[in-house]
Amino acid sequence: MDFSFNKEESMFRKMAAEFFKKECPPSFVSEMLEDEKGYSPAMWRKMAELGFTGLIFDEKYGGLEGTFLELSIIMEEMGRALLPAPFFSTVILSGLILQDFAKDSLKDKYLSPLAFGEAISTLALTGAAGFYSTEESGLLAEKKGDGYEISGSALFVPYAHVSDIMLCNTSVMDSGVDQGETLFVLDIKTAEAQIIPMNSISGDRLCEVVIKGCEVSPDNIIGGIGQGGVYIERVWPKIVTAKCIEMVGAIQQVLDMTVSYVNDRRQFGKPLAAFQAIQHLCADMAIQLETSKVIAYQAAWMINEGLPGQKEAAMAKAWCSQAFKDVVKMAHQAQGAIGFTEEHDLHLFTKRAKAWELTFGDIDYHRETVATCMQL
Amino acid sequence: MNFSFTLQQEHFRAEIRNFLKKELDQGSFTTGLNSFVEAYSQEFSQKMGAKGWIGITWPKAYGGQARSYVDRTILMEELLRVQAPIAHHFFGDRQVGPALIHFGSEKQKRTFLPKIIKAEVAFCLCLSEPDAGSDLAAVSTAAVDKGDYYLVNGQKVWTSGAHMAQYGWVLARTHQDPAVPRHKALSEFILDMKSPGVTIRPIINMAGVHSFNEIFLDNVRIPKENLVGQINNGFYQIMAQVDYERAGIERLMQNYPVYEYILKYIKTAKRAQKCIMSQDPLVRNKIAEIAIEFNIGRLLCYKVAWCLEQGKIPNYEAAICKTFCTQFEQKLSDVATTLLGLAGQLRSTCDRAPFDGLACESYLWSPSFTIQGGSTEILKNIIALRGLKLKTK
Repeated sequence: MDFSFNKEESMFRKMAAEFFKKECPPSFVSEMLEDEKGYSPAMWRKMAELGFTGLIFDEKYGGLEGTFLELSIIMEEMGRALLPAPFFSTVILSGLILQDFAKDSLKDKYLSPLAFGEAISTLALTGAAGFYSTEESGLLAEKKGDGYEISGSALFVPYAHVSDIMLCNTSVMDSGVDQGETLFVLDIKTAEAQIIPMNSISGDRLCEVVIKGCEVSPDNIIGGIGQGGVYIERVWPKIVTAKCIEMVGAIQQVLDMTVSYVNDRRQFGKPLAAFQAIQHLCADMAIQLETSKVIAYQAAWMINEGLPGQKEAAMAKAWCSQAFKDVVKMAHQAQGAIGFTEEHDLHLFTKRAKAWELTFGDIDYHRETVATCMQL
Repeated sequence: MNFSFTLQQEHFRAEIRNFLKKELDQGSFTTGLNSFVEAYSQEFSQKMGAKGWIGITWPKAYGGQARSYVDRTILMEELLRVQAPIAHHFFGDRQVGPALIHFGSEKQKRTFLPKIIKAEVAFCLCLSEPDAGSDLAAVSTAAVDKGDYYLVNGQKVWTSGAHMAQYGWVLARTHQDPAVPRHKALSEFILDMKSPGVTIRPIINMAGVHSFNEIFLDNVRIPKENLVGQINNGFYQIMAQVDYERAGIERLMQNYPVYEYILKYIKTAKRAQKCIMSQDPLVRNKIAEIAIEFNIGRLLCYKVAWCLEQGKIPNYEAAICKTFCTQFEQKLSDVATTLLGLAGQLRSTCDRAPFDGLACESYLWSPSFTIQGGSTEILKNIIALRGLKLKTK
């Protein structure tokens, strides 16, 4: 058992923390809410230069062959800063899938640009029903000659409006026969897609992507026909765990903000921190942080070791989703009316806590995964 | 970062499990609850001592194995999984031994450490008093210097296992001047429980069990050589010991068998005559909730052990760990008794009580979990003031 980080990992953390402190203060996060793109291309280039975008990928495709733990550390710092950027959608939702399941020619064409920070990508996973199930992606691919024609509506697609490519899990029909869920890479800029922003609290720039008869080559199929569900299931623990790690960073920041506030704010002749009710509130927040840390990093470590980590990822998401909500709730209580304003930063975290609870499976969804893994 | 155990540690765990399985098969004990305070078996403790499993982290010079705190946690986890009868040597192993190693005289170490390891003597902890619980510095049992002995008068309470122990670990006031700050006026002693003037009276707890006691000390003579460490340094010495009391996996697993029982129970029991309980989404959700919390608690316990191994003093980590784990223990007993339905209220004396009424008994013990060994309120103070360093002025 070892709960520490090694030299490289600590170095990554320091570098990432310093970068985001400088480049991504809370004012920037608020600014990006109104920004058309929702991220800074200049910052994205800097992140590419620092090796963040290519960290986890093979050298062959422009990556640095870093570990999942190293990536986790950077993502924790991203979570702390609430980085508004298509990093999750590009690296986690798209890059990992291409890396693990696409053939070399597809990786050459699509993964390299992602690794080099030259292209943005995202993943279409849910349809109008709005829940995660491999049968509900919202997109249909009809076989037409050698290729396919994709139509339909995908919802909750992060940063689709700035993406160059979009991975999509589509139902494939061939002459009226269902071929199963299949993952395609779509060049979204030429797909004549209608991209409608879904105004949400998350800050993740979710979009509805409406496609009407976009032709796709069979070369753009990731892996095999009908295997889409299998691939999503296999990459799911990585997606889920990465989200939990982001949450850990955010929870840490909320605790730090609260401690700072209660130390400074004075009422009745003393700092708020002098009152036991506040001390215990902060202690409860510390417990939520420490528990989230161990359970999230357990999952990250499993994945780092090449283990499936299905149960560990589910445990982490079920726990962290509640913990993040609890922490922001307590932070609001400690920070009073000022914490309830838009000019104050706390709301940025509160909104993410609710949005991320719902994203990639909520508490009940993941508890059911745990129950299944336990073979009850 | 590593969330796995070494091959050596896995072998150690397997070795312990095999030993315990044999002992269970032979009938040398049965799986109950609260075994580390309730189940006394000098014979079993002696077997453990012979295997080097008492004082496992102590230096070899004192008969220990100089093994890691993580190894000790593995040992404790396995013992508590089946609730092995470890009460006889438990306090000696967990804190009396370590306290003697840190603060004891050579004579005390040579006298008592081997006796603890060989399970020749059991210790009880005589700390709390009617007016001194969380406020330990308020102890008023007085130890007055009479030349070649201390004359001790006072009263102790909540002393677990006093009726089973040969020796007591006593915190008493040795500086009588009220002008001296309380925490600079206390000392630690080893008390022979057979000394004249010692009266032990049982207190029956809410579960109907005689576990803890009152102790009346009436002109009791404690030899000078039984003062542990420095005179008037007792408070600081004991503050080091409380971390051991807080840090262990026994704070997570006092009622562990209830968890394993309920996992089995739901696989055949039916709820409202519809589906098997384990297929009921509500039950699955609840069990997963418990499983996740147990998993987290376990990680926190190993993290504290790892901190100790790094030479860190884990006030913050231990406080978080115990707060979280004892809360889990309470939730477990509540969830289990609820899942058992009406039968969840049946006591062990009722033939129809599932699991010999143990889930119900654990529920009756549960209010104590968040109080004993450092109440949750005190622990949260520590987290806030020592961990987060909140400003009070």
